[in-house]
Amino acid sequence: MATEVLMPRQGQSVESCLILAWKKNVGESVAKGDAICEVETDKATFEVEAGAAGVLLARLFKEGDDVPVLTPIAYIGQPGEKVPSGAGAAGSSLPNPTASEAVAPPSSKPRGEPAASASRAAAGEIAEPEQRPATSRTISPRARNLAQAKGVKVEEAHGSGPGGRIIERDIKKVLESREPMTPAAISDFLGSAEAGTPGAGTGPGGRIGTKDLNAQTPAAAAVEGQITERPVKGIRKLIAERMHASLRDTAQLTMSASADARAMLSYRKRLKGSAVETLAAVTINDLVLFAVARTLARHPEMNAHMAADMIREFRAVHLGFAVDTPRGLIVPVIRDAHLMTLTQLSAEAKLLSQACLAGNVGPDDLAGATFTVSNLGNLGVESFTPVLNPPQVAILGVCAIQPKPVMNGEEVQFVPSIGLSITIDHRAVDGAPGARFLQDLAAAIRDIDLTLAL
Amino acid sequence: MSEQQYDLIIVGAGPGGYIAAERAGSLGRKVLLVEKDKLGGVCLNRGCIPTKTLLHASKLYAHAKEGARFGVSADNVRFDLGAAMEHKRKTVETLRRGIASQMKRFGVTVIEGEARLIGSSEGNRVQVGNQTYAARNLIIATGSSPAMPPIPGLQEGVARGQVLTSTELLEISELPKRLVIVGGGYIGMEFASFFGTLGTEVTVVEMMDEIVPIMDREFAAILRKAVKGVKYELGARVERIDGTVVNFSRGPEQGRAEGDLVLVSVGRRPNVDGIGLAEAGLDIDRSGIRVNEYLQTNLPGVYAIGDVTGKSLLAHSASRMGEVAVRHMFQESYRGEKPPSVGNPRAAGAMRYGAIPWVVFTSPEVAGCGLTEEQAAAEGRRVNVASIPMAVSGRYLAEHPGERGTCKVICAEENGALLGVHMIGSGCSELIFGASLMIESELRVQDVREIVFPHPTVSEVLRDAIWEVE
Repeated sequence: MATEVLMPRQGQSVESCLILAWKKNVGESVAKGDAICEVETDKATFEVEAGAAGVLLARLFKEGDDVPVLTPIAYIGQPGEKVPSGAGAAGSSLPNPTASEAVAPPSSKPRGEPAASASRAAAGEIAEPEQRPATSRTISPRARNLAQAKGVKVEEAHGSGPGGRIIERDIKKVLESREPMTPAAISDFLGSAEAGTPGAGTGPGGRIGTKDLNAQTPAAAAVEGQITERPVKGIRKLIAERMHASLRDTAQLTMSASADARAMLSYRKRLKGSAVETLAAVTINDLVLFAVARTLARHPEMNAHMAADMIREFRAVHLGFAVDTPRGLIVPVIRDAHLMTLTQLSAEAKLLSQACLAGNVGPDDLAGATFTVSNLGNLGVESFTPVLNPPQVAILGVCAIQPKPVMNGEEVQFVPSIGLSITIDHRAVDGAPGARFLQDLAAAIRDIDLTLAL
Repeated sequence: MSEQQYDLIIVGAGPGGYIAAERAGSLGRKVLLVEKDKLGGVCLNRGCIPTKTLLHASKLYAHAKEGARFGVSADNVRFDLGAAMEHKRKTVETLRRGIASQMKRFGVTVIEGEARLIGSSEGNRVQVGNQTYAARNLIIATGSSPAMPPIPGLQEGVARGQVLTSTELLEISELPKRLVIVGGGYIGMEFASFFGTLGTEVTVVEMMDEIVPIMDREFAAILRKAVKGVKYELGARVERIDGTVVNFSRGPEQGRAEGDLVLVSVGRRPNVDGIGLAEAGLDIDRSGIRVNEYLQTNLPGVYAIGDVTGKSLLAHSASRMGEVAVRHMFQESYRGEKPPSVGNPRAAGAMRYGAIPWVVFTSPEVAGCGLTEEQAAAEGRRVNVASIPMAVSGRYLAEHPGERGTCKVICAEENGALLGVHMIGSGCSELIFGASLMIESELRVQDVREIVFPHPTVSEVLRDAIWEVE
């Protein structure tokens, strides 16, 4: 005659217990007093002991099931012995009626085997185990009490118990990850669906108080001290919108290289020493602009606009160049730069810059660029990612001139080199053509004397 | 001129400055405390402590005269102002020695002199006399002074010694027969209570339509009626002071109040002038030096605490501000105290003003913490309010028969959190800290109900009031 193992009653108030883990498999022999399984009430964890010696014939519940007290949870008997036919009926009256497992011949079921096996179906009396729906979040009474007392939401905890059930240690883990909450904060937190979990609070000892649950983002709320407010309007507003739209709507790729600047520097030195005013006024930037205009004429794919479904390449180079003014960044345009001599280009650039700084540049001088150059070299910038000025497909960033080690036979020679960063719109131009342009431009700068002769 | 290097220089040795010095000293930091006058600041020398000493004397006088109902009779009860002043002097001196020995205990260097802030480009420097001192951190704790409003005749009255501030009134040698107090704030009311109890005819002239604006209005009205020997001119705008006559207007109506002395107690102004603060570029507005929640000013390494910030003009606020500042500047020394917080590292240890208790030491005393009913309404909060007479406490009734004490509690409707506690009645100064603890901890009505209060004490009224909340 098989002996029932009942879920014990652990005190008057306990109505059910949660099976945490089975300690014995079906078919395993047990001695009287052996721990059969570990169960948890809302107050404690304890072990259920075997009341008789024999073999574990059947386990009527799965790990994670919540079982009313004084309900049979297992049978112990002799190998081959049948469990009472009433067991299934007893099970069917329970809140979790179908969760069970049993075998008739002992040791026929390997440990941990999936539920529905033929041999077990043959056992007959006991119903098939049923999968617990994966979506239902289950929590042990003990864990739930702790969660409610300390202010933990069920969804914050990661269930580590049987079947993903949330048990006490999971709630404790959540509590360890943050400061304690004040009683009023617990009320508010549990009562509000939106309130997120703050990690730290501003209350005594870092306690999380009611204010911390509804705290604004610190950036907006917490800045104190002297504040200067500048309304976003005019040029600033235009730049803000254009730059954001540029980064949002295009596929920008930036590549950097450098060009041997020795010829350019020595040429500039000679120009500077010239008695002719227009020659003496030529700057490094003018020389770069000149090289860019000449190189662009050979790379129409870089001198282009990108429309929704059309790329327009231009023969003429209308060269935009960035001017830093007190009111913000302004980009005037040198028209037909590819046709200009160095002094013409230099004079035009100077005229436009001055107009920008004086604030009297005309709208026509600011529109229609096919390519843009931005020079931050005089500010010591070594490399940067210029932001495209759509619909243009490319923008060149000009960087500082720095000595760069170059192998000269066995020796290392330091060559003054000018940094060049090109950003392209990858929707219109691929990396290789962009790199080839950069390479050609570097050559045009390196051999500025030859470029000037063209 | 050599320069000495410190971890922290504190300018001002009031309850903000000396507590900050103690805390920093206990961390093993090298601290310099500069005070131009006496250790303890206004609080110890010209404020909290002297007034409480004198107020106790006046209460004893009243008890002695009214002892018959308790079965204790005394004839010829007299008040000796000289003896009371002597007790005050001894008390203050003892406490001052106490501060000095605490400074010694924590290795704080104290120097006397007027400090001047000099530039902060290469760290913070302070000049005292011919000596300069440098430190990475500086705390400005220069406090406040009585405000002197531009009332015609006021300066002349001051020059003649007929118009006084609280500072001079604490040093008088003879009780005035009549006293006019301009300003019915807590300072004015404490003096009104002291002199009124001793038989001086006191008139309080207040511009607002009720005294002590921080107070629950219902309590302010109870207080007005309970303080002995005081007349009130409310809603009265002082137009001119002629000698010891205070002329005021109330709408079209004109009035006058005459005394032997006039006390001006219309608020306090931050001490921000003449010590190089503005020159150093410190951000100062009308109410004082601007600080953030860690008491940092706009200058790196420079903190300001206490009255000079205008945030909360109470000694205990200053002390707490000092602690917050010291904790912030020496954060690394506090690491072992608690595991680092997850989330916003700036959150911990910020100054909190929401549960700072205050007390007015009149007879009867008034104390409060947290929101008043009016403030809760102004914030649009839904609250439950319960109010009970203090006489429900057996101890209170036994010791203060006939006094009309009240305890009022204000709780949030949505979660039951205690938001405010206000009490009027003898003994409430010693029990308001309990309310502060509860409010700071955001305890709810149901939580407070689980706390056991000692019987028979006046503190039980708080518990009883909480049980009255619906």
